Amino acid sequence: MTRSHPMLTKRQAEALVVDTEPWLSCESCFHLMDRYVEAERAGGSPDPAMMTAMQHHLRACAACAEEAESLRELLESDGGTQED
Amino acid sequence: MTALSGGAAPGGALAPASVPRQAQDAPGDRLLEALRADGAAQTAALREVHLLMLRAARHQVWRMGAMLPGVGTVVREEIACAAADDALTALLGKLDTFEGRSRFTTWAYKFAILQAATEVRRLAWAQREVPLEDTGTWWATEAGPEDYAEASDLARAVTQALDHALTDYQRRIAVALLVDEVPIDVLAERLGTTRGALYKTLHVARGRIRAHLAAGGHLPAPAAPAEENHR
Repeated sequence: MTRSHPMLTKRQAEALVVDTEPWLSCESCFHLMDRYVEAERAGGSPDPAMMTAMQHHLRACAACAEEAESLRELLESDGGTQED
Repeated sequence: MTALSGGAAPGGALAPASVPRQAQDAPGDRLLEALRADGAAQTAALREVHLLMLRAARHQVWRMGAMLPGVGTVVREEIACAAADDALTALLGKLDTFEGRSRFTTWAYKFAILQAATEVRRLAWAQREVPLEDTGTWWATEAGPEDYAEASDLARAVTQALDHALTDYQRRIAVALLVDEVPIDVLAERLGTTRGALYKTLHVARGRIRAHLAAGGHLPAPAAPAEENHR
């Protein structure tokens, strides 16, 4: 099937050229998400390479970004100093 | 592709071997110990963890509520309960991989969030066709003035790159995900593949588009090309 599209919008074009290096898979993002969000809340991490890779992935993957934001919200609603 | 330090973990995750435990999590430790035990303690822990899952799943369904405009509170609660059940099963299957680098609660939440988000996206698209382009030349030449007004030089260059720098498969995936905004797990299900495989294809496609744009002077030259061993 051939379907006509209008010209790309600026937002779509920007999404298509997002730099996704350093590479991080969605599976790895899920594996690291709890550490990453806690490190964000704590204001830093002893693993800056992990933080950078996560930041790049979350800019490039809408699904993972939604899930990370949801986790941030949940921890926030648990309280600023989660007692868990 | 840039290599990162750290050992391999499930799904190729980064997992430095000698990182000390960072999260002080006594209640989480108690739950973890009880989950690994037998009898009444385990039953109580399962109930407690299920409540955590339900809380996270409800939160996720609520967050994505706009995707389910005709779905009432009863069905939304059913979605959250089913997601919590499935997430608990997934968590128990991964219990031995918990490394204590985050609080147990945080680790548990992410399973329910993933499960609920995936289910909401699946339901939201259940009655919708997923468009996939078959040919390389499909950009309209009669776009409306509002489309042209919105299109920057970058957009025009990217449109060209889509036609000239990508394989048919890469273009179909990139357009479905980023132009038609099909959720990645919905597209994966329809194509019989995985979210990770589609994201890898998108990663390579983005690298090719960036290289094409760099060659045309629209972007700075890339430091290193994306891996090309995927379709």
